[in-house]
Amino acid sequence: MKSRLFRALAPVLLASLTVSCLAHLGRAKRYYSEGQDQARALQTERAVASWKRSLDEAALACREKPSAQSYTVKGLAETSLGRWREAEASFLKAYHLGFDEGEAWASDAALAGLAASFERLDLEAPALRIYAQLIDRSDFKPAVMLAAEKRTDLVLAGAAGLDPKERDRALAGLLRSLDRLVDRDFACGLYHYLHAQVDGHVGDLRRSYEEAVMARELGLPTAEILRDNDNQLVFCYDRLTESLPAAERGAFAAAHAAWAKSWGWRDDRTPAWKKE
Amino acid sequence: MSPDPVRQMGSTVDKKGLEAALARGVEILDKFLPLKSWLVFPVLFAACVWAVRRVFDYRERILAWQVWLDPDFVRTKPDEFVLAFFGRNEAIGREYAVEIARGDVRALRAAFPALYPIFGLEDAFLKALFKAEIDAADYRAIVVEFASRSAKARDDIRSAAADPEFWKALYLIAAEAAALGLHLLKDEEVQDMIVALVKGPAVLGPSIPPEA
Repeated sequence: MKSRLFRALAPVLLASLTVSCLAHLGRAKRYYSEGQDQARALQTERAVASWKRSLDEAALACREKPSAQSYTVKGLAETSLGRWREAEASFLKAYHLGFDEGEAWASDAALAGLAASFERLDLEAPALRIYAQLIDRSDFKPAVMLAAEKRTDLVLAGAAGLDPKERDRALAGLLRSLDRLVDRDFACGLYHYLHAQVDGHVGDLRRSYEEAVMARELGLPTAEILRDNDNQLVFCYDRLTESLPAAERGAFAAAHAAWAKSWGWRDDRTPAWKKE
Repeated sequence: MSPDPVRQMGSTVDKKGLEAALARGVEILDKFLPLKSWLVFPVLFAACVWAVRRVFDYRERILAWQVWLDPDFVRTKPDEFVLAFFGRNEAIGREYAVEIARGDVRALRAAFPALYPIFGLEDAFLKALFKAEIDAADYRAIVVEFASRSAKARDDIRSAAADPEFWKALYLIAAEAAALGLHLLKDEEVQDMIVALVKGPAVLGPSIPPEA
């Protein structure tokens, strides 16, 4: 009796499990792409929340019906949340289930995680080598973005202790690598932010201002970076208005006022997030 | 489904209701956080600020907090940027007037990593974590204690943060406070309210880590 009942219910159970699994994967994909959209729209925190939801749903999908797709989405969500080790494992599983690029992505995620570990242990030299390798060779954008950001910070920190000639050489090399990144992916706001920061160090404030404007327009990965970029804009604006000839100064101030208005700033020097 | 309480925010402040809501918040959070209360104030204040300012959806802000605690901006700034930061903030500029006049960039650079996230980037959590020093305009104490206290906060929050109920509770507290008109109060008023509750009759403990 029981087995007849089971046989009768089995297709229904199977169908509902399949539907539930597909629903998890569908939701995981939807949340992940919502996160990407929100990140592009500067809604950093909403993006992170979406990626967390995506990860939860993808994990359920992987448990119920492992597939290359479910592990890839899981790996992407983990990557977006900076969980490189977990991402490596997910991409490897995706590769074994038929996602060809999974192996390369797993390797890049592993390298990113390893470099971050080296950095935490104050082993900057090997971390820098790995970041440079990721920037030059990787096609996995999240790993390249992380490497660009970390390498910029480490090189700038190291350059501060060098003699002027060596410092100039180190910063020129850094700018060349950021130029290449900007050429490869002009629409990535983070690369423009990093360029603006290094331009500030070499004293090219016009370029720094322009790059910071582009970074703001294209979108930045976190609210804190957005605020730091805004501070860079105000710093450049102040210095440039002091140093520009009168004729140029008026045009620059007018352009800046238009940008500030479009960003919803309270005035030319006060971003909306600043305390009144 | 009940509507989002934030959408129902009125234009008046129900101060008594608000105090009661925050008191409940203190009580609830005290169950989650280690070392009893020292983290309650910064956690609750940060949640309220996000709820009030609504720069982004504060529910997501709270969910994203673990990431927010690990800022990843470019920390090394040119000397001119560091000098401009000290020059732009009047109170900090006064405190470091001697170093600025001497052109002692090395001393200013040493203080910058602690002061910039609080006063330059206006991190609500860090602002609350160093409220006592900010109120006393003791900026040098912030510099001395910044690394150890913020690392301790990160470590102590980690265990609470692993519990999904913690985030749910934090969201509900902030949602209730926002619905009661918290957005009409100044940050300082909200801080004072929470400080009074933390230091109130319930005696939940000191508002800063004892060994910080």
